[in-house]
Amino acid sequence: MTGAVTWGLVVSSLAVIVVRRRSLAIALVAAQSLGLGLYAIAQGSRTSTALAVAGTVLIAKALVLPALLLFTVRRARKERLIATEIPALGRLAISVAAALAVEQSIPRFGLAGAGVEHAAVGVLALGILTAVVRRAVLFQALGFLIAENGIYLTGLSLPGGLPVFIELGLVFDLVVIVSVAAAFAAKIHEQLGSGDSSLLEALRD
Amino acid sequence: MTDVLLIAVPAVPLVGALLVRLPRTPGGADRMNLIGANISTVLALTASVVGFVHGARGLHGSWFVLDHAGACFLAVIAVVGWCSAMVSPTYLASAGKSLFTARRARAWYYTAFYLFWAALLALALVKNLGVAWLLIEATTGASALLVAYSGRRNALEAGWKYLVLTTFGLAVALLGILILFAGLAPHGGTLSTLDWQSIARHAGGLPHQTALFALILILVGLAAKIGWAPVHNWLPDAHSEAPPPVSALLSAALLPTVMLIAWRVVLTLGVAVPHHLADHLMLAFGLASLAIAVPFLWRPMAWKRLLAYSSLEHMGILALGIGFASPLATVGVIIHLAGHALAKSLGFYTAIPLARHDPSSAQRAPRGLARLSTPVAAGAGISLATLSGLPPSPLFFSELLILLGGIAAHQITSVSIAAVLMALGFLGLAHALIETLAGESHGHRWRSGRTVRLAGRLTVGLTLGLLALSVSAYLLADSHAGASLMRGIA
Repeated sequence: MTGAVTWGLVVSSLAVIVVRRRSLAIALVAAQSLGLGLYAIAQGSRTSTALAVAGTVLIAKALVLPALLLFTVRRARKERLIATEIPALGRLAISVAAALAVEQSIPRFGLAGAGVEHAAVGVLALGILTAVVRRAVLFQALGFLIAENGIYLTGLSLPGGLPVFIELGLVFDLVVIVSVAAAFAAKIHEQLGSGDSSLLEALRD
Repeated sequence: MTDVLLIAVPAVPLVGALLVRLPRTPGGADRMNLIGANISTVLALTASVVGFVHGARGLHGSWFVLDHAGACFLAVIAVVGWCSAMVSPTYLASAGKSLFTARRARAWYYTAFYLFWAALLALALVKNLGVAWLLIEATTGASALLVAYSGRRNALEAGWKYLVLTTFGLAVALLGILILFAGLAPHGGTLSTLDWQSIARHAGGLPHQTALFALILILVGLAAKIGWAPVHNWLPDAHSEAPPPVSALLSAALLPTVMLIAWRVVLTLGVAVPHHLADHLMLAFGLASLAIAVPFLWRPMAWKRLLAYSSLEHMGILALGIGFASPLATVGVIIHLAGHALAKSLGFYTAIPLARHDPSSAQRAPRGLARLSTPVAAGAGISLATLSGLPPSPLFFSELLILLGGIAAHQITSVSIAAVLMALGFLGLAHALIETLAGESHGHRWRSGRTVRLAGRLTVGLTLGLLALSVSAYLLADSHAGASLMRGIA
């Protein structure tokens, strides 16, 4: 089960770096969150509180946030092709190389298995890399969610899990940040006629 | 009673964030802001006094710890927040277009402002690293909207850059916190495992590698929010594009408050890392920030952008003071924190009349202000003179204390490099000061309108505060204050 979840996370994160359609990328991240949420619920001896928290996290991350981002995509239907973006294979090569380098340089830090540790750090790195190699602001916002999924995997694999307060606070913060990011994405589309973040490079010294 | 007071400190601005949305007119929202700011400030300053009076061991409660350092930071956040709230109506009256619809723009501004302020006030009080992280992340949402408030393309760019860089930085810090939590799990595995006192008590038992890994991730992640080089890219843009009252709150309250959390991490987790690596990491951030900032202080630059690079310089100096970890340097850090806050706020508030009478000051360095407006020249002059560390400003004394603290800690190489960089920074800002006040200027003398009168009043008030700080620097240098500042969390 754990192996399937971790590989699913890594592969879907890499897919977000490659795919062109924003709605497909949102669906991939929603699927990531759904898988993680179901994994949390399925974990054997969880208490009712932990189950309730996992359910809340699942609803927020797999339904509410993707819906919010899809709404933003629909409001900015006329997406221009982003000419400055690196080709898909190049993005994939850069991301795989960088994520492997990060993952290999990380020492063991106390989770149940080395595989989970590598996957968690790798997915966090892929979230950050999504924001680096993708030019569209919406993909950069998806990078937040991917990175957070990597951290959530770490939290799920901790002995005893994450404290409930932290888990709920994390989801609240994520909802706030993604809502603000969606508002920015909509405004940037409105002003520039495109979500290309490379057009936002006027402030330089 | 103290518990109620300390809950009220963040709760009142939180309620204020809701109440400012009720009035239907801009005047009503301004009045609500005035009431909210006054009550919030009185409560925060009262709590700060309670913290000072209660002694070095600090006050401990279910969610808070109020030691001397926390009390200092709380007072600074309260004063800067109050000044920014008082200045906001004048800014909003001349702000023009915004990110929000004209009818609700003011309500949104005040809502985001009070949420941001409430999170900062709570951050100075929380006793738990995990909760502190949540609050730091919460400041990002509110302040990113404020940075982009004007809705201009540059403001959107600055706000977006701020949101992306700080959010990913904080994600890295969170991974570090989880690794620390995993390491400390045998000592509880509950939320309280991440209490400052719990970390201080059990960190010594952590494997060195785990402690080092967690420490590096947490500090590097927080550095992105503090604006330490080399992860400072958002700082000059956000500070220069945000509304001036928000720039003041970002520079004088947000950066130092997040640094308080980094300082507490160094003090509690640093013991688990060999060879004083935590202190060396702080020194590296400090020297890198100074080295990156100084060349920009030599360039003619738009007023707020110059102040932003000066923030990078001063955050570097504060990191050095923390890294030297000696009582003298610690006193220097606290004086520097307060002096920087007052001088930097004054500088940003001066940007309001500057933008009103000389809109080109958003693009190029202002010149010859002494001929154009005495109150604005006084505000800009005192701000720059203080930030450059010109005697008898409090920053002169604090920088001296930090360097002497470094010598006391036998960090001669770091002190030497820092002294050279600080001297270069001083020369750059001194040149900017001369040009700003006495450079060649065109146009007629500015009328003494609302914004100019405001600059005059703020200059008088904040200058008195700066003089008081200079006196306290002289008195505190020879006291035990440095040793007692962080005792509450140990």
